Amino acid sequence: MEFKRVVGTRRSVRWLKPWKPVERAKIQVMLEAANRASRSMNADYPRALVVNRDDIDGETREALRNPTTSVELDLAPTYIFWYFDLKYVDGVQERLKELIDQHALSPSHGWSHAYVDSFLWPQVLKPIADNMMALMFMGATETGIAICNSLNAAVDQGLGTCLHAFTAPDKVKSAFGVPDTWIPVWLQLVGYPLEEPEAGGQRPRQPLSYSYFEGNCSTPWEEDPQVTKQLKDDGLIQDPGPFPYRQEEVRMLSQMFGLPQ
Amino acid sequence: MTQKAKVHPYLSYNSVTVWFREVGHDRAPASQQTSLLRLLQGFCDTQNKSPDELVSSCLRTTSAGDLTISAKARREIDAAIDQFIADSQLTGHQAVAQGNKIREFLIHNGVFMQGKVSMSTTS
Repeated sequence: MEFKRVVGTRRSVRWLKPWKPVERAKIQVMLEAANRASRSMNADYPRALVVNRDDIDGETREALRNPTTSVELDLAPTYIFWYFDLKYVDGVQERLKELIDQHALSPSHGWSHAYVDSFLWPQVLKPIADNMMALMFMGATETGIAICNSLNAAVDQGLGTCLHAFTAPDKVKSAFGVPDTWIPVWLQLVGYPLEEPEAGGQRPRQPLSYSYFEGNCSTPWEEDPQVTKQLKDDGLIQDPGPFPYRQEEVRMLSQMFGLPQ
Repeated sequence: MTQKAKVHPYLSYNSVTVWFREVGHDRAPASQQTSLLRLLQGFCDTQNKSPDELVSSCLRTTSAGDLTISAKARREIDAAIDQFIADSQLTGHQAVAQGNKIREFLIHNGVFMQGKVSMSTTS
């Protein structure tokens, strides 16, 4: 699928085929996409725990369930628990010097081994490691970027996926041996869409002028209609929901699983 | 007593009216409406509450004066629904669906909750 169509087709898919497992190869693609995401300091922020629903023992599955998160856990065949590791600063000094050796960071932009060893590490990076607020902010932000790549990689492979509030982190920790330094971010549920891939139409968004500005924050970004048209042709902007049959689609799916309508 | 209440007294409760209107049960055949109302009544009886009281019992007022969902009460009601269905001797898809009908009543009255899914592996 072309990049623009992947981005335009991505939406939270909550109806998944519970009976159709996700191939391990497709999960690997998602993880590699996450691994290739932009990340400051070339630090290893994200951690992901992949678990197939049917491999989870009954007691743990029941513990994950609560009155607000249940349906999706039943429908999704694969769970990816996303974390970041608070120890992500460890090794950053050497990772940055690797980038210098690769000429990704070069003297033309002020970089040198001496700068990393004598200034950046002791004066900037080490203090971050001792500052919990900075650690949490950067960890969550950078892991979110990686997760975004994983979401788009799922869509590119015809999968449905959705992020959920992290479910029962203590139970997950004890059941799967999650280290103490891992901080929960999102639970990504993955499967094959049971609903149409369009999931009732593209979700509503404000026009670019609502959130984006040019030159100063008093000047909203003005869209070029020709670009907007091209993005529609390319599938980044798609028909908005709800499709005329969407309500009936959801009603029929609800009936299929005995769910509230 | 209104005409609706003659069909079933529960139709005089605002929470039931909301539920029926939102889902379209008010346009369903009378027998289906009666079946749903009997189900809800059966559960409400176990809780010694009217439908409106059942909804209210899932809510609480915060110290700031805002109305919010009580996580504790919701958890208890959710478990009570499961117990009610278990006691009814229903099994399989029908059991899950009936429990979720009661949840549907609460959901349409603002109490966010999710029930179990009926699948072949669980029926």
